[in-house]
Amino acid sequence: MAWVLLIPLLPALTFAVMAPMSRRARTTWRWLPLAAMSVSLVLSLLAFARVWPGGSQTPTFHATTVLARLGGVPLSVGIQLDPVSVMMLLVVTIVGVCVQVYSLGYMHRDERQGWYFAVLALFSAAMLLLVLADDFLLLYMSWEVMGLCSYLLIGFWHEQEAPRLAAIKAFLTTRVGDVGFAIGLAVMWASARTFDFSVVLHGFPFGTAIATMIALGLLFGAMGKSAQVPLHVWLPDAMAGPTPASALIHAATMVAAGVYLVARSLPIFEQAAPWVLEAVLVIGILTALTGGVLALVQYDIKKILAYSTISQLGYMFIVLGAGAEGAALFHLMTHAFFKSLLFLGAGVIIHATHTQDIREMGGLRRAMPWTTATFLVGALALSGVYPFSGFWSKDDILTTLWTSGHLVAFWFALGVAALTAFYMTRLCVRVFGDNACSLAREGHNEMLAPMALLAAITAVVGFSSQTFAHFLLGETQAPLNLTIALTGTAFALGGIALGVWVYLFHGVDTDRLKVRVPYVYAALQHKLYFDLVYDRVFVGGFRSLSAWLAGFDRTVIDGAVNGAAQLWSATATTLWRGDVTLIDGAVNGVGALVRGAGARAREIETGRLQTYQRLALAVLLLLLVLSVVLLRGA
Amino acid sequence: MTVGPVAFMVLAAVLFCIGLFGALSKKSAVAVLMCIELMTNAVNLNLIAVSRFVTPDSLAGQFTAAFIMVVAAAEIGLGLALVLALYHARRTVELDRLDRLKG
Repeated sequence: MAWVLLIPLLPALTFAVMAPMSRRARTTWRWLPLAAMSVSLVLSLLAFARVWPGGSQTPTFHATTVLARLGGVPLSVGIQLDPVSVMMLLVVTIVGVCVQVYSLGYMHRDERQGWYFAVLALFSAAMLLLVLADDFLLLYMSWEVMGLCSYLLIGFWHEQEAPRLAAIKAFLTTRVGDVGFAIGLAVMWASARTFDFSVVLHGFPFGTAIATMIALGLLFGAMGKSAQVPLHVWLPDAMAGPTPASALIHAATMVAAGVYLVARSLPIFEQAAPWVLEAVLVIGILTALTGGVLALVQYDIKKILAYSTISQLGYMFIVLGAGAEGAALFHLMTHAFFKSLLFLGAGVIIHATHTQDIREMGGLRRAMPWTTATFLVGALALSGVYPFSGFWSKDDILTTLWTSGHLVAFWFALGVAALTAFYMTRLCVRVFGDNACSLAREGHNEMLAPMALLAAITAVVGFSSQTFAHFLLGETQAPLNLTIALTGTAFALGGIALGVWVYLFHGVDTDRLKVRVPYVYAALQHKLYFDLVYDRVFVGGFRSLSAWLAGFDRTVIDGAVNGAAQLWSATATTLWRGDVTLIDGAVNGVGALVRGAGARAREIETGRLQTYQRLALAVLLLLLVLSVVLLRGA
Repeated sequence: MTVGPVAFMVLAAVLFCIGLFGALSKKSAVAVLMCIELMTNAVNLNLIAVSRFVTPDSLAGQFTAAFIMVVAAAEIGLGLALVLALYHARRTVELDRLDRLKG
């Protein structure tokens, strides 16, 4: 079954092939990632068939390789195929293929679309590798590659200011979480000397203190990736990227990776101090509430969906805090389908109306019947209305919370469900309702087809709730608890009814409400001041720290460097002076002496014969005189 | 009054000095040749005078003088030919202007 490795490898190869291409060639080959993802989808289905009927925690396929030996301890990475991986593989490949097809229509006018498709392929590869990883090291690596792809796709339109800033913000915020993740992994290595799931997740005796440290580290990483309070601030801004990329990365898959991580490592959380799981629960509740409340006041269609994603991820964390990974993963799956459906729908709407502001939309139901229908399916699923998938997964969560005795969380979850239904109704009424005449046109077929597929999945996948629980964990789920199901439905319908009353029939003047409770509205408008506080405390703090460091750099370090330079310069000048006067003086002096002597000597070389003769005569006479004098002397 | 050998020698010395002065100071190459001739004649005079007064039986001096005259004639022929060639080449025979060897 080594072909399982091909599932992440094919999209990765696609990226490797497309990355060095020219812009034009990439545009020509833009269908290549789609082809790779389709093959991955087929292979994932085959893998699913192999794992079926599941229910066992032992991997169907497991292969490892030793990367290195650290002090004799093998550092190995590998892949494994178990029910959870297969479920995630299917989610990623199905949503991935849908988004790829959709993007062909959505991005077809963009000049750099080839790069977009290539990065999308790399992202899919990383996500597929993440869910196949059999150890925390490979998981962490894929995790970081996903972060990089997220950064690249958020900042895809980097000619504009907002996507650029959003990309940096997303990268840095998730990086804060990743530091926690890395610390957790370091503690894990120090204690267990391995990252393998087969060891650390199957009863390795960490001890409560160590397990608590690891669990907190992993939780922090998951909070960053899954946009949990207080690290949620990057996700709404990340909507500056292309909408299909938001659908795949910031709704369906990457943000769910945190849930997947916590679900996978739940055995460590159970070894840790009890308050760690409670912290997960509380973070989940806070996130679900924050996301839901903030979605109420947004006017940007994508930001509403982003806050709703945050809220739903909080939902998954709530149930993870209750120790039930089955319900969390089921909600992860259903959410991946209906939220990507909603994002794709939002993309079509944005394409058609050229705005993201829901106040400028309205009456789209006539112009865009297909989009309206599929979007409503997604919205109903998100609101938790029978028979759509969201109802089943939400009911699963509520039942788990009720039976495990987390009653406070149960009521909070119900409240958030009503809140979700309310703001989705607000969104749908604003976009599709009203009677504003719209010139918008229905989207292309390659955009509608994936939405139809996702809508179909959303409509039916909920009924697999029982099978799913058995496939994933081998648990036999209690049959539908009618009381809880009815309560959940009542809250959802209540939220919808309230939304219809407020926004369709204008039962409450929302503008007067803003004036009536200005503090509340201002707080919501400012995103509960999270961004403001971060901006003041962290960004501002870093700014002043770096200003101080820059000053230190300029005065002390630059001063020392410049002083040394000046010293050298002065020394060199002195040496130069000596060189010029002493050495050059000596050399030039010799030259001048020779030259002067030569000039003197040539004066007698007149070229006239008679001068020479006179000279010869003079010398002759001199010699005569000398010889006479000397001879006489002798 | 008899004319003794000293008078000849003084005359020869005066002639030689005139010739030497002329050879060292005349501008014209022809004049220089003439002065050289003067110096050879001064030598001839000496030779003849010495031969006449010191060894009257031998005619070696006279013969040597005659020999020198022949050589001088040949020499002057060659010298004048050189002067002519020089004139052809340089359009002058003034020694002052023939200073190509000037360093």
